Amino acid sequence: MGNITLGRYIPLDSPVHKMDPRAKIMAMLLVLISIFFPAGWTGYAIIFVAVAGVIILSKLSFKFIWKAMKPMLFMLVFLLFINIFFTKTGDLWLEIGNFTIYSDAILNTLYIAVRLLLMIMITTALTATTKPLDMTLGIEDLLTPFKKIHVPAHEIAMLISIALRFIPDLIEETERIIKAQESRGVDLREGKFSEKIMAILSLIVPLFVSAFQRAEDLANAMEARGYAPGEKRTRYKVLKMHMRDYILLLGAAAILTGMILLAYFL
Amino acid sequence: MSISFEHVSHIYSKGTPYEYKALTDINLEIEEGKMTAVIGQTGSGKSTLVQHLNALLLPEEGTIHILDRVITAGEKPKKLKSLRGDVGLVFQFPEYQLFEETVLKDVAFGPKNFGVPEEEAQKKAKQALRLVGLPEDVYEKSPLELSGGQKRRVAIAGILAMNPKVLVLDEPTAGLDPKGAVSMMSLFWDLNKKHGKTILIVTHDMEHVFHYCDNVVVMADGRVSLHTNVKEFFKDTSLCKGLNILPPALLRMKDLLKENGFDVPEDVMDETALAKCIARQVKKNG
Repeated sequence: MGNITLGRYIPLDSPVHKMDPRAKIMAMLLVLISIFFPAGWTGYAIIFVAVAGVIILSKLSFKFIWKAMKPMLFMLVFLLFINIFFTKTGDLWLEIGNFTIYSDAILNTLYIAVRLLLMIMITTALTATTKPLDMTLGIEDLLTPFKKIHVPAHEIAMLISIALRFIPDLIEETERIIKAQESRGVDLREGKFSEKIMAILSLIVPLFVSAFQRAEDLANAMEARGYAPGEKRTRYKVLKMHMRDYILLLGAAAILTGMILLAYFL
Repeated sequence: MSISFEHVSHIYSKGTPYEYKALTDINLEIEEGKMTAVIGQTGSGKSTLVQHLNALLLPEEGTIHILDRVITAGEKPKKLKSLRGDVGLVFQFPEYQLFEETVLKDVAFGPKNFGVPEEEAQKKAKQALRLVGLPEDVYEKSPLELSGGQKRRVAIAGILAMNPKVLVLDEPTAGLDPKGAVSMMSLFWDLNKKHGKTILIVTHDMEHVFHYCDNVVVMADGRVSLHTNVKEFFKDTSLCKGLNILPPALLRMKDLLKENGFDVPEDVMDETALAKCIARQVKKNG
C-alpha cells in the first residue's frame, strides 16, 4: 500500500518544486492538449524531450515514472491484442496460416503507448512536485474567473483539498484494518472465493464506519471554527508568479503552437 | 524460552524518501507464562516490535523465535496462519475492526477463519464473551450500537475466541475511563494467572505496570534500553527518574515519607503495608 506512486507528492528541493502551482497546472494543460494533435513522431519526440527536461530538473528519478507507468502495461497488452485482430490495414508484416499482423496494428498501439507514457510523465511531474494544498490553491485561483458564471470555485477547491488530505489517512486506516483482520486469521491472498468475499467485507465495513466518523468530526471541527462556505476569506499563503513560472508557461505555449503547426503542415 | 529476538531490525518504506528505521538490533527474550510490559515514549518502536510477534511485520535483519517457529530476515515465513492463531494480537483501538451484524458473529469470525465449524465457533465466542464480562443480552446486538468500552471488550473477545497461547495487547486501556481500565487490566491478570497465557502489553500507565506485570521492557529510539523484572525496576524511583518516567504513586509516596523523616523499609510494596508502616511510626513517636 505504501508504494502507490500515482499522484503522490515527493518532497525534494528543486526549481520545479518551487514553481507557482498555477503556472504548473496551466503548463500541464497546454502540453496535454498538444499531445492530441496528430503531429507525428517528430512532435512526440519534441514533447518527450521537453517533459524529460522538466523531470530531470525536478530531480525525480525515471524509475519513479516507470513505476507509475506499470499499472498501464496490462491495458496496453490488451490493446495490442485487439489491434492485431481487428486492424487489417497498412503493410502485411507477418503471416502464419490464417493469422496475419499488419503494420498499422503495431503502429497504432505504439502511438497510444507513447501518448499514455507522455501523459503519465506530465501528470506525475505535476503531482510529484506540487504539494496537494498548493495544488488546490492553484485550482481555486484558476477557477476564480468562472465565478461569474456561478462556478463555486472556492467550494470545489475545498472539496478537492479535503479529499486529497484524507487519502493518506484512509490508506493508513486500511493498512491498520488489514493488519487487525489478518491477526484474526483473515487471509487476503489465498483462500476460497467465498472466504475472499468475507475478507473484503471485513475491510470495507470498518473502513466505511471510520470514514463517516472522520467526515462528521471534520464537519463539526470546521463549523466550530466558524467556517461558512460563502464567506470571503483571506489566505495565509499568497501565490506569486516569478520569472521561472513565465518561462515554463512560455515553453508550454510554444510546444502547443509547434504541435498545431506541425499537424497543419503534415 | 520460546519467544526471542536476535539482532532484529526493521525499516519502514525502504528505498523511498520516507525510509525510517524503527527498530535497531533488538535482542530480547520474553519469558513464557509471564506478563511483560513494554513501555517507552511515542515513536520508540513499541508497536513495531509487537507486530513482529505474529509476523504482520517481518524483520529486515535478524531472527525471531516464536513458540516453535523461526522467522528469519529475507525468508518467506511458513505456517503464518497457524502462528496468528497462536499469537493473538489486539491492536490499539481494536473497536475499529468490528464489522459483523451481531456481536456473537463478530467474535466467532476469528475461530471460523481457522477452520472451526460454525457451532463450535459460536460456543467459543460465547466463552470469550463471558470471559470479558459482557452480558448475554448484547450477543445479538450490532457491535456498532455498543458503548466504547463494550466495543473494546467485544474486539478483545474476538481475539480470545481463537484461544491463543500468547496474547499481545497494544495499549488496551487507551481512552477508557479509570474504572474500565482497571477491570480490563484485572481481566488480563486473570488470563495470565488462571489460564496460563503469556501476555505482552504495551502501555503508558506505570500504575498498571507496577500492579499487574511481572517483567518490563523499556524501549527508546528503536532499541531495548532496559529489560528487567518489575520488582527490580520499581525498587526505588532512581531508575524511573533516569528514564524520565513518572514513578507509580506508591513509590512517590515512599519518597515523600523518607524525605520527611519516616523510615520506610524497601519490601513495603502495597498500600496496606505502607499504611501500617506509617501508623506504627506515628503511634511510636506520638
